[in-house]
Amino acid sequence: MISRFRQLFESSPDAMVIVDRTGKISAANARAESLFGYPRDQLRGKFAQTLFPGQSMGLETGGPQEPAQASRQHLVGSRSDRRQFPADVTLIPISTKQGTVTVISVADITEALRTQFVLELGFDVLESADRGRQALLGHVIRAQERERSRIAADIHDDTIQVLTAANLRLQQLRHRLRDPDQLRILDKLEQTLNLSLSRLRQLIFDLRPSNLERGSLAPTLRAYLEQLSSDTGIVYQFEDGCTGRASAASTRLIYRTAQEALANVRKHSRATTVRVQFLEVSDGCLARITDDGVGYDPSEVEDRPGHLGLTLMRERTQIAGGWCRIESTPAGGTTVEFWVPLARTPHQPEASRERVA
Amino acid sequence: MKAIFGPPTRQVVELLTGLRDFSPAEIDLVTSAWRQASDVDRAAAWAQLQRATTEDERYSILAAASVARRTAMDLASELGRPDWAFWAAAWDAAAAIAAADRIGGAFDVLTAPLAAVMPSLAPGGDAERGLSRAIPVQRRSDVASDQGARP
Repeated sequence: MISRFRQLFESSPDAMVIVDRTGKISAANARAESLFGYPRDQLRGKFAQTLFPGQSMGLETGGPQEPAQASRQHLVGSRSDRRQFPADVTLIPISTKQGTVTVISVADITEALRTQFVLELGFDVLESADRGRQALLGHVIRAQERERSRIAADIHDDTIQVLTAANLRLQQLRHRLRDPDQLRILDKLEQTLNLSLSRLRQLIFDLRPSNLERGSLAPTLRAYLEQLSSDTGIVYQFEDGCTGRASAASTRLIYRTAQEALANVRKHSRATTVRVQFLEVSDGCLARITDDGVGYDPSEVEDRPGHLGLTLMRERTQIAGGWCRIESTPAGGTTVEFWVPLARTPHQPEASRERVA
Repeated sequence: MKAIFGPPTRQVVELLTGLRDFSPAEIDLVTSAWRQASDVDRAAAWAQLQRATTEDERYSILAAASVARRTAMDLASELGRPDWAFWAAAWDAAAAIAAADRIGGAFDVLTAPLAAVMPSLAPGGDAERGLSRAIPVQRRSDVASDQGARP
């Protein structure tokens, strides 16, 4: 047993010394010689404390016979040439016939600390880049909303007015035409023009739903679902259990996030049904949109660039003080779940609100 | 150690380490526990987490949740258990641990599915007290036998 211990002691990759009750080194291994730069016979009889000058090692010297618990600490070791190094030091008290001795194991952690420093530096760079990305996404979301309003206003005030004027001129032209062939062509032209007007009005609705401005989330979303269903044949279920009065900003946010999720259902899911649920939870609205489509592999899709829609859904809810979960598996459909507070007030945690009060 | 995930970084790292040791059967157990739990309670717990934390704190919390989600997702894929409820459970638990003691009862709600395999996450467990390791059930016996084998 003793010879096995000696073998282990000697072959340890860490420097090891055995310290007696007076705090003096009674044995040292080869690694201790090379780490501290003293030959073994110079280490023997030396106070262990001198290897870590000016620091408390918590060595039990001259104390009770019962060994204390093992302990571990980070200290600065000192070599024979006075050069210093960071050390991970473990003290293991052992009870022997001669009393308590302490085995001290010392690992030079210079490289580990250097690696840690590089990693932490890398992390700081990443964190800073990520915070920049978040700020940028916040700008994108606000710019997107402004741009939607601007485009909707332009279509309403300009394009639709021009098309309406063209329609009126067609009416005037109708009074002058007598030839049935020409009248048939005019009919076709009127139909095309009316279709264009109808599509532009739908586009305005998508860009700036007027009901939303009045805080009517459910009717607006139902109209969107109706349109989705009539365009794609996807059957929808809509359960609105969110009766609380939401601010205009919250209403818009819930609608936009749901709209983005439903746009993905339309474009990618190949679903036959989609279920939309709104529930009131903790003064907020929990929305869940589930489809029975083909789903996707998140580890694959999330690694690919170009999925701004998913990112914007998450960011939009987080900016509003909420959260968003988008999950899917291949052939398992997709679930988008998000919660946002109904009354959008500048976000402040409860703890800090209490402090302010 | 830099507090990448806020003050409870060590606990989060322990959770991540523990997650990597899950077996397929344990993944199934967590998945089933997550699906059986009330989604309204879960949403309320997340709402509590949102309210109880500052934006800066939430950054660390979401970082922890994202890393745990990714770890769970990779493991699930490796073990042929591609059910998103598993990585959703990891996301919830890591967020709760990173939010530490600020979220009250929401902690138990968010960690409950993983606690089915990691008893240290259960109410009053080591992780909740922020003291010790989150070790999967069968790993505890490994640790015990390792300790037993020491001279």
